[in-house]
Amino acid sequence: MSRVFDPVLRNLRELALRMGSRSEAILDKAMRSVFERDASLADEVRDDDLEIDRLDVEIDNEVLKTLALQAPVAEDLREVLAIKMIANDLERVGDLARNIAKSSKRLSLHPMTLIPRTLRELARDSQSQLSEALNAFGSTDAEIARNVLKDDETIDAEEDVIIRAALQAIPKHPENASEAVDMILIAKHLERVADHATNIAESVILVAEARNVKHAMKLAR
Amino acid sequence: MSTAPALKMPSVAPRKPETPEDEVKSVKMKAAGVNVHYGDTWAVKNVNLDVMKEDVTALIGPSGCGKSTLLRCFNRMNDTIPGCRVTGNITLDDTPIYGGNMDVVQLRARVGMVFQKPNPFPKSIYDNVAYGPRIHGLARKGAETDEIVQTSLERAGLWEEVRDRLDEPGNALSGGQQQRLCIARAIAVDPEVILMDEPCSALDPIATARVEELIYELRGRYAIAIVTHNMQQAARVSQRTAFFHLGELVEYGSTEHVFTDPSETRTRDYITGRYG
Repeated sequence: MSRVFDPVLRNLRELALRMGSRSEAILDKAMRSVFERDASLADEVRDDDLEIDRLDVEIDNEVLKTLALQAPVAEDLREVLAIKMIANDLERVGDLARNIAKSSKRLSLHPMTLIPRTLRELARDSQSQLSEALNAFGSTDAEIARNVLKDDETIDAEEDVIIRAALQAIPKHPENASEAVDMILIAKHLERVADHATNIAESVILVAEARNVKHAMKLAR
Repeated sequence: MSTAPALKMPSVAPRKPETPEDEVKSVKMKAAGVNVHYGDTWAVKNVNLDVMKEDVTALIGPSGCGKSTLLRCFNRMNDTIPGCRVTGNITLDDTPIYGGNMDVVQLRARVGMVFQKPNPFPKSIYDNVAYGPRIHGLARKGAETDEIVQTSLERAGLWEEVRDRLDEPGNALSGGQQQRLCIARAIAVDPEVILMDEPCSALDPIATARVEELIYELRGRYAIAIVTHNMQQAARVSQRTAFFHLGELVEYGSTEHVFTDPSETRTRDYITGRYG
C-alpha cells in the first residue's frame, strides 16, 4: 500500500460515490414529482442539482491535482481517469433530473393527465441501471458492470413504446399535445440516464480489466 | 565464458508482439540465461532479455535488483570488478560478446556507456570528443576529427552552446552540459548501442529534460538501454521496459503495457509505489 497515494485515491472515490448517491436521490425525487404531481419536489430538484455541480467541480480540481502531484500509473491512473469520466456522467444525470422536474412542473398543472404504465417501468429500469452501475463502481466489479451493459436494450424498447403512444395520442387529443410532448421528453431523459449508467459501467471495466469497451459493438461492425 | 549453471529459475514468458511494428523490429543485443555473481552474492538470476535495434529499453527496479549489473554486462564493464562472475550468453548482432575472439576495446566502441555522474576527461571539450575517434583510428586528419567532433556535439545537442569555446576544459561546463558532452564522447566512436546508467540522476530538471529530449532524438540511430530510478522518465523515453526484482527479470514488455496494465503483481506494486 502507498501511504501517500491511497488516501488521495480514497478521497476521490468517496467524492464520486457521494456524487453517485446524490444523483440517484435527485433522479428519484424528479420521478416522484412526476408520479405524485408534486411541483414542490420539482423545485427541490433544482436546488439538489447545485450540490451535484459543486461535487463535480471538486472532483475536477482533485483529479487535476492528483495527476499533477501524484503522477499515477497503471490501475491507479485508470481509476483516477474513470472517476473523472464518471463524474461527467453523474453531472449529466443531475441535469437530466432537472429537465424531468421542469416537465413535471408543467404536468402538475394538468393533474388528470394519465401517466402511462411503461413510463413507470422505464423509470424503474433506468434508476436500477444507474444504481447497479454505481454498485459496480463501488466494488470495482466488472461482472456487475457487464450486466448493466446487457440491460440497455430493454430501456430503448420502453422509451420507444412511450414515444409511439404519445405521438399517436397527439392527433386524437390535440388539446393535450403539450403533456404528450412532456411524456416524450421524460422518456428521452430517462433513456439518457441509462446511457450514462452504461458509460459508468464501461469506466468500471476499464479500471478492473484495463479494457476499453466503449462503443465496442458499433466499432466491431 | 562458461556455460550457465543448471539453475531452475522462473523465466519470463516472451510476450506476443503487441503491435505490427514489434514483429519487424530486430534484436541488437540478446541476453540469454545470464547470471552474475559477486563472490557469494547472486546479483542477476537467469535473465533473458532482448535489446531491440530501434528502441529505447528501460531497466527499472529497486536498488540492488541487478539492473545496473546486467547493463554493465552488455559491454563487459563487469570484467574489471574482482570477484564478479558472469555466465550465460550475451550476443551483439548474434556474435557472443564473451567469446574468445571478442576484442573488449572494440566491443566498448560498439557498445558505448554513459554513467550516472558526468565524467569528462580532464581535457578540453574538443579533446573529450576527439579522444575516442583518435585511439580507434576513426579519424586521421585534423579536418576529419573536426567533423566528427562537430557532428557528435550536434547530435548530443551541445554544439550551439560550446562551438565558440571548444578549447575550454570539459569539466568547466554545467552538470547537464557535461553529461551531454559524455554522450557526445560516446557517440563520437560511432557506436551501435548506447548504455546509460541513471544518466540524469545528478542533473537538475531542466538538464534532465534536455537529456531526455536527446535520448528521444538518438532513438532509431542507436539501440539504447537505460537504467533509471525515475519511473516517469522510463515511461517518457522508452518503448520497452524491463522490471527487475531481487536479480530476476519479473516482466518485460512494451512501456505502454507495463505502465498502464502490468501483468505481474510485483511490477504493479513497484510502479504504483506500493512495493515493500
